[in-house]
Amino acid sequence: MNAGGETDAYVLEAHGVGKSFTTFERQPGFLGVLKNFVARKSVVVDALSGIDLTVRRGETVGLIGANGAGKTTLVKILTGIVPATTGAARLFGRDSFHLRNQEKARLALVMGQKSQLWWDLPPIDSFKLLKEIYSIETVDFDRRVAEYTKMLDVEDRLKIQLRQLSLGQRMKMEIIGAFLHDPDVVFLDEPTIGLDLVSREVIRQFLVRLAEERGVTFMLTSHDLEDIEETCKRIVVLDGGRMAFDGDLAALSAQVMGKRAIEVHVDPHTPIDESALSRDIAAFGAVVAGRSVAAVTVVVDAARLPELVPALFQLLQVRDLSVERQPLELLVREIYRRSDREGSSIAGSRPEGASV
Amino acid sequence: MTRAEAKVSSWESDARTDLALLVKTVGYEFRKRIQFRTGFFVREVLNGMVQPLVMLFVFAAIYRSASASGDAADATLGSWQYSEIVRYVAGLLIVMKLVFNARGLDLSAEIFEGRITKYLTMPFRYFVLIQGRFVQFTIMQVVVATLVWCLAYALMGDRWLVPVSWLATGQALTLVLLGSYCCFLLTVILNTLAFWLDVVWSLLVMAWFVISFVGGAIMPVSQMPVWASSAFSWLFPYWMISAPIEILMGRLGTDAFLRGLAIVTVQLVLLDALRRFTWRRGLAHYVGAGM
Ligand SMILES: Nc1ncnc2c1ncn2[C@@H]1O[C@H](COP(=O)(O)OP(=O)(O)OP(=O)(O)O)[C@@H](O)[C@H]1O
Ligand SMILES: [Mg+2]
Repeated sequence: MNAGGETDAYVLEAHGVGKSFTTFERQPGFLGVLKNFVARKSVVVDALSGIDLTVRRGETVGLIGANGAGKTTLVKILTGIVPATTGAARLFGRDSFHLRNQEKARLALVMGQKSQLWWDLPPIDSFKLLKEIYSIETVDFDRRVAEYTKMLDVEDRLKIQLRQLSLGQRMKMEIIGAFLHDPDVVFLDEPTIGLDLVSREVIRQFLVRLAEERGVTFMLTSHDLEDIEETCKRIVVLDGGRMAFDGDLAALSAQVMGKRAIEVHVDPHTPIDESALSRDIAAFGAVVAGRSVAAVTVVVDAARLPELVPALFQLLQVRDLSVERQPLELLVREIYRRSDREGSSIAGSRPEGASV
Repeated sequence: MTRAEAKVSSWESDARTDLALLVKTVGYEFRKRIQFRTGFFVREVLNGMVQPLVMLFVFAAIYRSASASGDAADATLGSWQYSEIVRYVAGLLIVMKLVFNARGLDLSAEIFEGRITKYLTMPFRYFVLIQGRFVQFTIMQVVVATLVWCLAYALMGDRWLVPVSWLATGQALTLVLLGSYCCFLLTVILNTLAFWLDVVWSLLVMAWFVISFVGGAIMPVSQMPVWASSAFSWLFPYWMISAPIEILMGRLGTDAFLRGLAIVTVQLVLLDALRRFTWRRGLAHYVGAGM
């Protein structure tokens, strides 16, 4: 199974990967056009720098980061769509930009923003083309189409032109198309963008099940942390093209697992004395995790919740109060904050090569 | 299995996939073309009819003014009698239907809008899909050209271009189709410039004009000044348009066919190498926009 230089351990590797794009500034107006013609000003954008990442077979990696952090660029490099400017990216032990058909046959890519299927064809026809492209056995093909459409609840949409499907139905078809050839590694770039809660949930369950049953390795990017929480065991956080965090989601959420985030809304005209509040709630083992003009977020052990909530009503002019189960959002915000402060990556908080 | 054997078997399975895919693509392209009947008629049947009609009109005027008696039929220009010119234009009408033209390919848009991204991660050569369009085009146009020829022959009989022999027909068709493939490769190469430029369409229009002229779609190459006709006879467009018609008319024979075959084959190989080169360089430049 292991072809060429594939090391047993890693299906996916990035060593010091960087990518810069050169663009030419376009000035507005007629004079601007003339100026551009005479002397073009080029701008180099560093989309990624110094990314080190190794992923083992069967790992599920959630890739998160703000808009423009470089997630899509990393996916493009790892899948060989664009070459890295510096460093080395490898898939199945082979340079990503020079994948051969045998490696490509084990890879799949789902892009939330762009269709992998043929726009003018009904999904079933696209699937048949994919069957040809990936040389899928007919029995496997029929079984998977039946099984996957059932799991994602789109059995009755197979013969409708792709362009006529709803966003959610189309996305499900894209995902089915990606899994038809039983790939070993699947990249999903925002597969749940714009989908409703039910569709998201169905897709998450699909991914979890395939990861479990078939040992598929996948890398998922999403702005919805719940997607990541439910499907991935490991998270990688990008911030401004650098790696801000790479580690176990379980370990990370262990720190916050039994915790609850309480968001307290107060009267904006009575200012909160944060240091006093911190002192008072310390008795309950709680800390202030964030605040805005009219709200403050407090994090506490779930067990102490019944004591703390009444106390908060005494300490603050509470207008409204909500309790969040799992403050991963807070944690990620904390990661961003730390990477900003240190100005460099805190990757390596994950021991080299530790597996999940 | 040794490494070499593995290589061969993987090559074999690649080739098999390519072929199966080619057949599928051709089918898909056919469906796309025939979907709209009026569009089909305008594009595939009427297309290429107007230019020859205009040419006939112009040639008639030129021959008339060159003739002492004022009758076009009496004049001879550069070894071409008027009746021959008429048959040349008839041949042109058929041949130009078979020649691949840039409209059949929107590769540059696919590159520009990032639509090729999805194919880059799939285990096959993207070029096979493009070749599928060429094959589909060629099959369809051979059928259409045959029908048009039969119809014209039924209406006009011997005044229409009748090939001198089956051998000549085979030779002419071989040259036209090989030339057409060269034309296709050139179109692909110009389209791949979309990795760097956004003016591909104007380049294609210019290239098409040059090919028509050099190939003899405006006037027979052998009617041009000697320096031009001898220079152009080294280029594939001549062997794709002017020469095959002259072979059909019996003005050129087997020795010319063989020379043409050699020239076109060499240029086809060169163009294919250039296509590989630009494609590879282009991909290194690709940013996969819109993802
Ligand atoms: N083709 C390109 N030319 C120039 N700059 C680019 C190009 N592609 C991406 N960039 C820049 O690289 C950076 C990273 O972009 P990327 O698309 O990877 O971000 P992302 O993390 O996927 O963001 P989002 O969450 O918005 O999808 C951005 O600053 C972007 O402007
Ligand atoms: Mg993105």
